[in-house]
Amino acid sequence: MTMLRKLGAAAGAAALSAALAAPASAVDLQFFFPVAVGGKAAQTIEELTADYVAQNPGVNIEAVYAGSYQDTITKTLTAARGGEPPQLAVILSVDMFTLIEEDAIMPFDDLIETDEERAWLDAFYPAFMENSQTGGKTYGIPFQRSTPVLYWNKEAFAEAGLDPETPPATWEEMVEFGKTLTKRDGDGNVTQWGVRIPSSGFPYWLFQGLTTQNDVIIASGDGDETYFDDPRVVEALQYLVDLSTVHEVMQPGIIEWGATPKAFFEGQTAMMWTTTGNLTNVRNNAPFDFGVAMLPANKRRGAPTGGGNFFIFKDSTDEQKEASLDFIKWISAPAQAARWSIATGYVAPRPDAWETPEMKAYVADFPPALVARDQLEFAVAELSTYQNQRITTIFNDALEAAITGQKEPAEALAEAQAQADRILRAYR
Amino acid sequence: MSALDASNGAAAAAPPARFDVDRALNTAGAWALGILWFLPLIYAVWTAIHPGEFATRFELFAPLTVENFVNAWTAAPFARYFLNTVLLVTFILAGQFVLCTLAAYAFARFRFPGSSVLFTLVLLQLLVMPDILIVENYATMRMLGLVDTIVAIGLPYVASGFGIFLLRQTFMTVPKELEEAARVEGAGPIGVLWKVYVPLAKPTYLAYGLVSVSHHWNNFLWPLIITNSVETRPVTVGLSIFSAVDQGIDWSIITAATLMTSGPLLIAFLLFQRQFVQSFMRAGIK
Repeated sequence: MTMLRKLGAAAGAAALSAALAAPASAVDLQFFFPVAVGGKAAQTIEELTADYVAQNPGVNIEAVYAGSYQDTITKTLTAARGGEPPQLAVILSVDMFTLIEEDAIMPFDDLIETDEERAWLDAFYPAFMENSQTGGKTYGIPFQRSTPVLYWNKEAFAEAGLDPETPPATWEEMVEFGKTLTKRDGDGNVTQWGVRIPSSGFPYWLFQGLTTQNDVIIASGDGDETYFDDPRVVEALQYLVDLSTVHEVMQPGIIEWGATPKAFFEGQTAMMWTTTGNLTNVRNNAPFDFGVAMLPANKRRGAPTGGGNFFIFKDSTDEQKEASLDFIKWISAPAQAARWSIATGYVAPRPDAWETPEMKAYVADFPPALVARDQLEFAVAELSTYQNQRITTIFNDALEAAITGQKEPAEALAEAQAQADRILRAYR
Repeated sequence: MSALDASNGAAAAAPPARFDVDRALNTAGAWALGILWFLPLIYAVWTAIHPGEFATRFELFAPLTVENFVNAWTAAPFARYFLNTVLLVTFILAGQFVLCTLAAYAFARFRFPGSSVLFTLVLLQLLVMPDILIVENYATMRMLGLVDTIVAIGLPYVASGFGIFLLRQTFMTVPKELEEAARVEGAGPIGVLWKVYVPLAKPTYLAYGLVSVSHHWNNFLWPLIITNSVETRPVTVGLSIFSAVDQGIDWSIITAATLMTSGPLLIAFLLFQRQFVQSFMRAGIK
């Protein structure tokens, strides 16, 4: 019944579009996108797509909401293996190697021709391109990209006798401030923790902040080697574990991601590490004055990047590929990148987007939005390898074992490295 | 506390010397499990009808609000999603009843070459997780030109191995004499099925129908993968936009949306509770 109706609608739409588009060159594109920051992001993507279609009558783009990042890669790979991939999609930048191995995507280098287009590839922040290029070719265009930052509760700082305008700048300061900020009631139960670094689901991401600050990279750019058992990685994990066990400034055990902003709003923690994707949420919901800072430094400053890139799929006609490239160029242009960044809190991925009047007005009104951008200078690629799902699972399991006290950090990481080696050997 | 009440009740009913430990334990266990099952639901109701700041705080006289439901309802085209889900579960259930009944009848009462091999194959289907077949199913749906239709969501589940097995076992327990009597009256094979087997298997149909409807009402991954448009997607896909972990979860809205989407099932279960429980018991006892 419904199928019939749909068929009828499709036939009607086909007839209509045939009537409208005089030249037979109407290109249909299917575009899968995930949403990781609430309902408004989906709406903004759909609006942007509609705007593009309105300006380009020869192109029809069907923007398809595809669930979480995880759902989107599943849906895309299923469609690709089933012989009907979308023409373009936004997928986690770290899934690049997976998509290459599946032979699903193509490098942008094969599509760009003019010098102007080559300049376009160079217009993005280099930190975001690290996860988008391999073997000298560009496979992804940064779009909904993020990086973790530190949020602090200024009222709690003032109450504890700290300067409410000064966040911790180093690991030592974070422990020191944390001790001052941790409050206990008469029975010794903690009513306010010093800091909260969530570790559920994908602990590796925030942990990569710590490893980078300890001046170590955990995977090679070719995606075929990891360095989980490096002494500096072990040291970083020991620091994370010590926050709960030795210094007692962080809730012990696995800490939930989803519940972290709420815990911050409720005053259960005075500082939290989480993604810039939360900026708008915190701005709207924190009942106190808050600050946003770069993550504290140790041997150096550092943070991973995160989030999704645009990919173009191989199995399409040349017209479709060209139209996809044109759409991506349009949506990543400064005006659109700024609009997207303001609506969601994601970091606009190129410097000139920050020079647009809209963006300038936005940051003048809300300076914390600049912190993530300024941190990009110190940012590194998010952990990404061949067999990425398996490797990150191994690494996450090792981190969780150390955080919950089942294994010593050195032991857990050595085991993880051995397992990763067994999987990645085939790709070297 | 309820455990105490229960044991007090048992103690009062019988003389203290014959205190029925077994019964008291059973009652206590049932209460404990019942409360455990009910807790998330109570939390969901509490959070959904109060403003966000009371999500993790209990205050008896916290202000009530329906705003969470309004926000959830407007965040996605839920009216359309509900219609799609209803169409979907109806289509699947109707298909399953027809196909499983005919197949089960054949396996239960007819001898034909290869019947045991075929039945083994049907049983093997029980061992295969549907998620493994997602890619194959996608390719099939694409070949049939059904991608992004409600039919495509339901089709892979219509020939249910579990349904065939369950109905076959039920049909096998029907006394042969009833069938013979019907045949003497002049009923053909289809007449016998319709007049004898189906009416006697009613409790099984009801129990199986409940399991099937609730399973497909809640199914998420396959519908998400095979559909692309609002016109075909079920409520679970609409619900998923609230679980955006990057931004932290807004419990008030997510519980309101969950209550909304699971509401029809819960209400149906409460209305037909007696029939469901009885049908499960009858289907099991036979």
